[in-house]
Amino acid sequence: MPNMGRPSFSESLDAVLAAYDNDKYPPGFAGEYDIMECLGEGRGVDTFLVTNKQGERFVAKCYDLSVWDIDDKDDVLEGLDHPSLPRRVASYKDKNMLVVVRTYLEGEPIDVHVRHNSLDEQGIATLCVSLCDVLAYLHHRAEPIIHRDIKPQNVLVQPNGSVALIDFDIARTYHVGNETDTRFFGTIAYAPPEQYGFAQTDVRADIYALGVLLRCLLTGSPRQNHNVRVYAPLQRIINKCTAFDPNKRYTDIDQVRAALLAANPRRRALRIAGVATASILAFALVVLGCVKAYEAATWSPFGSGAAPAVVNDEQRIAEAVQYMKETYNTDLFGSPDDLATVGFLRQVLIDCYGLDHDYVYNHQEEGLPVESDEYFMPWGWEDNQNVRRDTAVYAAVKVHDPSLVAEDQWSKLTDDNGEYPGSRVAVLYAQETGIVEGANRPFDVTKGEVALIFANADRVFTDS
Amino acid sequence: MVQKDISTRELWARLFKAADVKEFLGECDEHSLPTFADYVLQLADERGMRHEAIINAAGIERTFGYRLLNGTRNPSRDTVIQMAFGLGLDCDQTQQLLKVARMSALHPKVKRDAVIAFCLHEGLSLMDVQQALYGAGLPLLGGVRRA
Repeated sequence: MPNMGRPSFSESLDAVLAAYDNDKYPPGFAGEYDIMECLGEGRGVDTFLVTNKQGERFVAKCYDLSVWDIDDKDDVLEGLDHPSLPRRVASYKDKNMLVVVRTYLEGEPIDVHVRHNSLDEQGIATLCVSLCDVLAYLHHRAEPIIHRDIKPQNVLVQPNGSVALIDFDIARTYHVGNETDTRFFGTIAYAPPEQYGFAQTDVRADIYALGVLLRCLLTGSPRQNHNVRVYAPLQRIINKCTAFDPNKRYTDIDQVRAALLAANPRRRALRIAGVATASILAFALVVLGCVKAYEAATWSPFGSGAAPAVVNDEQRIAEAVQYMKETYNTDLFGSPDDLATVGFLRQVLIDCYGLDHDYVYNHQEEGLPVESDEYFMPWGWEDNQNVRRDTAVYAAVKVHDPSLVAEDQWSKLTDDNGEYPGSRVAVLYAQETGIVEGANRPFDVTKGEVALIFANADRVFTDS
Repeated sequence: MVQKDISTRELWARLFKAADVKEFLGECDEHSLPTFADYVLQLADERGMRHEAIINAAGIERTFGYRLLNGTRNPSRDTVIQMAFGLGLDCDQTQQLLKVARMSALHPKVKRDAVIAFCLHEGLSLMDVQQALYGAGLPLLGGVRRA
């Protein structure tokens, strides 16, 4: 019953084969190469792995000319010769299709490589430095070439350990004077804002994508993940690479390269050792009786060039922890490296600053959070949540002077970035007065950093 | 279709054994795909097939076949497809096997892949698919060039 009226095997196979017509491809291509795998498809371009008659592998990009208005002379790889870039081999064209054949580069995607080899920050930074070298070759040409689709799948680590950049179908040279790019290209998470059509993309588009790539390799996700801490010097590079405004990004790939080399954790260890030596000298000064000068250098929260030169964040945090312990006679800051929870923050407010338990714990049950005399925190947060920096700053400011974050202050805000306005007012105040100086990690804070924020706030409010 | 029922049932079993849904989904995450060797051994177990029979049916040289199964060698894409024929997988199961081996899937735009998928769908043997490829003037599985 099931086989009744069914075509025979060879008839069915013939029907399958008939759907594939070699004439679809420009003359010459089908005779030279066999299509073996489809590596990617989309937007009128298919990418195939092909082999020639000797069994050597190549990559063929087949552009549908009804979608693409291009000529084989447009190929950005024309005239390039670099071991980390595919080399153009041949091209075939008829009225429907342009096929560009390039060398096939062996290697595994950089994210897979990082995972398989469990690379640390140092290894990741080193790979990104090699990628900078390749990008410098492209960007520093008379007509700079922008790749515009840098993402883990397009960055390979070759068997010899060098980094290769592939998939050049959308890269193009930068023409001074074109105000906006007309089409959207790239991969959303890795594309900078201007690539959506705000302005013409330039080499800073690749710098943006490199920043996202670095974040992805360090945190496992191209998106910002507030729960994953990144080694601070590398985080700063990511932030500068991915600034929304292209003018705030690095302007040249060589600057990124230099920053990556400077952020190298081993070098930093050396620098910290240097700082430690300097600290010992500073300590000798203290012994010599310069207590006041030392304290001023450590604690002065105001600009005036008094930023502590010989004392790093770790030491300032240690000092702040000591200060909180002695001033408030508390053991709350016993493990300063642990992440601070909301419960911990509430305990500090109750134990150290004598706030009423209900005042600290109660919150508005419904509607948007608002300032109120009945409860300290406008948000209904659970004790086990982590504390973000702005929340700690908000608490440290409000505990001294609730009027600073009162609603009449909000109207002074120039923008609305979606954060709770009370905490934004507090952060602005804290930045102006220096309370958050030294606690520059943007998101979840440790207990030690909470100590630093509160200790700085104590000093600011005592002085003023 | 009987085979497919078994793997669906097994999927459910795993879902209910896992402590929470996240853990279950984690098993399907690309980061924690099983190794090719483990996956083939698991498929062989489910089907009650002897390793030697699979290697023979896949047309793979015996020593190389055992090295694939104990994970000391990595397969090429063609070898993964041969292994699918050796295990008697259908088209969907072969796509999964390719995914586990981190190889590109059988793609309808590629004529050679279409012939292979058709033969998998029909439950044909490795010999049949090689004949079909030869007849269509396409490269055979395992790197044997057409005449």
